[in-house]
Amino acid sequence: MIEDAFEKDLREQLRTREAPGGFADRVMTRVAAKPARRRWPGFGMPVWRWAVAALLVAGMVLGSVEHDREQRREGERAREQVLLALRITGATLRDVQEKVDAESGQETRKQSGGMDREGQAQE
Amino acid sequence: MRVQRQRTRPLEPSPETFRDIVERHQARVFSIAFRILGESGVAEEVAQDVFLELHRSLARLESEDHVTAWLRRVTCHRATDALRRRAARGHGSAVEYEDGMELRPAVRGFLPLMNRVEQLLLTLPPAQRAVMVLRYQEDLEPEDIAVELKIPLATVRSSLHRAVQLLRAKAERTLKEYSRD
Repeated sequence: MIEDAFEKDLREQLRTREAPGGFADRVMTRVAAKPARRRWPGFGMPVWRWAVAALLVAGMVLGSVEHDREQRREGERAREQVLLALRITGATLRDVQEKVDAESGQETRKQSGGMDREGQAQE
Repeated sequence: MRVQRQRTRPLEPSPETFRDIVERHQARVFSIAFRILGESGVAEEVAQDVFLELHRSLARLESEDHVTAWLRRVTCHRATDALRRRAARGHGSAVEYEDGMELRPAVRGFLPLMNRVEQLLLTLPPAQRAVMVLRYQEDLEPEDIAVELKIPLATVRSSLHRAVQLLRAKAERTLKEYSRD
């Protein structure tokens, strides 16, 4: 890159300036006054790794709790189905019983009616 | 054979070591901040903050070149941030930057400590000031500026071209004003 007189002038006038007197002293005073950073008690492991580990553990715990809940819900559903099946079976059995009772009542009445008629004929 | 990387715990530098670093780089850091901000007091405040930040980050920096590049980059960013904060609070710098702007006599009087080029520099947008300072104060090539400021090379080149053109035009007009005065 070829520089012309103007750019040389720019470079000349933009030479590094001296910092104000006592600058380094003021910086060092602020460094010394800065509260010591509290060390993360992470046994040498960086904070982000602890955060990732904590997230993984939290995920596993939540997953396990959710799994338990799902199993309980499935158990509830199966229980409901068994109870429903039992209710249906009970109702069906009652119907059948009633029909059987009704049939046998008619049969008895028929038989007793026939016997009466036979007796009257013998007499 | 697998080579295990040695993990090193960040160490705080001794006060003597850090003071030596401050003394070696203070002029560079202050000059960058001063030329972007245009005010000595604010520039010193920003420069001090940069060194405090360096104190916290020093353990991660591997070489003297790395420290120098870090200081240049962070100073440019912090000075530009300070300029934005001041503008947002309504305390814009004494000189507003517009393409067509010239330095008014009142502004020239307000900045007695600055040379002519430094005053003209303040009429540029902050991003262009930073690029110009790195190019002409720090003597960096456009490629190095792009790497240090993490901006595209084409942006650096166009910023430099535009800034030099603007400054040239303004300098010519200012010279005419001076000669008329």
